[in-house]
Amino acid sequence: MDTQQSREEFYKLITFNKGIIIKICNSYCADAGYREDLAQEIIYHLWKSGHSFNNNYKFTTWMYRIALNVAISFYRGKTKAATIVSLENHHTELADTGGEEAEANINLLQHFISQLNALDKALMILYLDEKTYAEIATVLGITETNVATKLSRIKARLKQNFATVNQ
Amino acid sequence: MEDFELKNIWQAYDRRIEEARVLNLQSWALNLRCFETLQTEKARYRLNTLAAYKGWVAVLGVLWVLFLAMLVWGNWFSNPYFTISVGIIMLFNVFAVAVYIRHIIIIRQINYSESITSTQEKLAVLKLSTINSTRILMLQIPFYTTWFWHSSWINYSSSSFWLITFPITLLFIILAIFLYHNISLKNMHKKWLKLLMMAGPEYKSLLEAQSFIAEIDQFKKDLI
Repeated sequence: MDTQQSREEFYKLITFNKGIIIKICNSYCADAGYREDLAQEIIYHLWKSGHSFNNNYKFTTWMYRIALNVAISFYRGKTKAATIVSLENHHTELADTGGEEAEANINLLQHFISQLNALDKALMILYLDEKTYAEIATVLGITETNVATKLSRIKARLKQNFATVNQ
Repeated sequence: MEDFELKNIWQAYDRRIEEARVLNLQSWALNLRCFETLQTEKARYRLNTLAAYKGWVAVLGVLWVLFLAMLVWGNWFSNPYFTISVGIIMLFNVFAVAVYIRHIIIIRQINYSESITSTQEKLAVLKLSTINSTRILMLQIPFYTTWFWHSSWINYSSSSFWLITFPITLLFIILAIFLYHNISLKNMHKKWLKLLMMAGPEYKSLLEAQSFIAEIDQFKKDLI
């Protein structure tokens, strides 16, 4: 990826799929300063790994692999305190986008996801982004059965968390 | 709460991201012109933290090896004890530098487009390999107690040599063999090893890598 044309294509693909990067950064980094670093790191690795993109896979699947791998490596290097999204922190960032109840639910979901371990977090993000079990299994390198079992446990945990808060 | 409700919340979040300029990072990500700057100015200097640390250690190691090589060259067998001791210390350090350079190459070759468990496992194993090079380096310790030996000293002050100097070296040989055998992952929780390794900034990342490998193993297991 070094011609002007491929650079333009890369920009377009990143812009079109920017939500993936933003969601992953938000989930793995509580600190806005770190998030910016992480986003740069992800885009850098996407650019650097351009040659490894295989047309047999979806672009987003390839992008998830790289972005999650970079985020998890980044996450391992930071303290836990910098990785758990506090409700207050997130509330400030989304405050002026309307809908109080929806807002509260988004904040809660982000908060609960940030409490998961690095690998469970990746699994949940992929599930919520409507990836199939086969795609999730490929990105994570585990079996589909394992994906299904783990997902049901994590979902149960998240629902339990929501239920506790809503009591 | 049902599954679809969780997904609805996430989709609402997705829409917010699309609609609102949520974070500074988004404005950065959108303004990809900044990426040009990143490419030209930052990227070529870029190494991740681990590689950067290993890079610095390798540079210091090369300087140390050069210094030792000068000493060996300058005293070439005028005192065999000095030449052999410093020469062996130098070889251990050449080994350490080679290991660190190999690590840097592996880090740079790590493919982030492979599956997450596979890439993360490689990274963690790489971090843990530090412990193997550390235990091998322990074997050089006794040679720090022999470089100042001299045949005239051994011959003319034999009692002080055999009663003081030699036993000290012997103790260091025993210590080096003990450390070589006992510096291992299974002993990482032991107090003495913790104290020993605390001196190195890699200790924390070793512990994290060890627990992360366990986490990955657990994650990969098929649960029913």
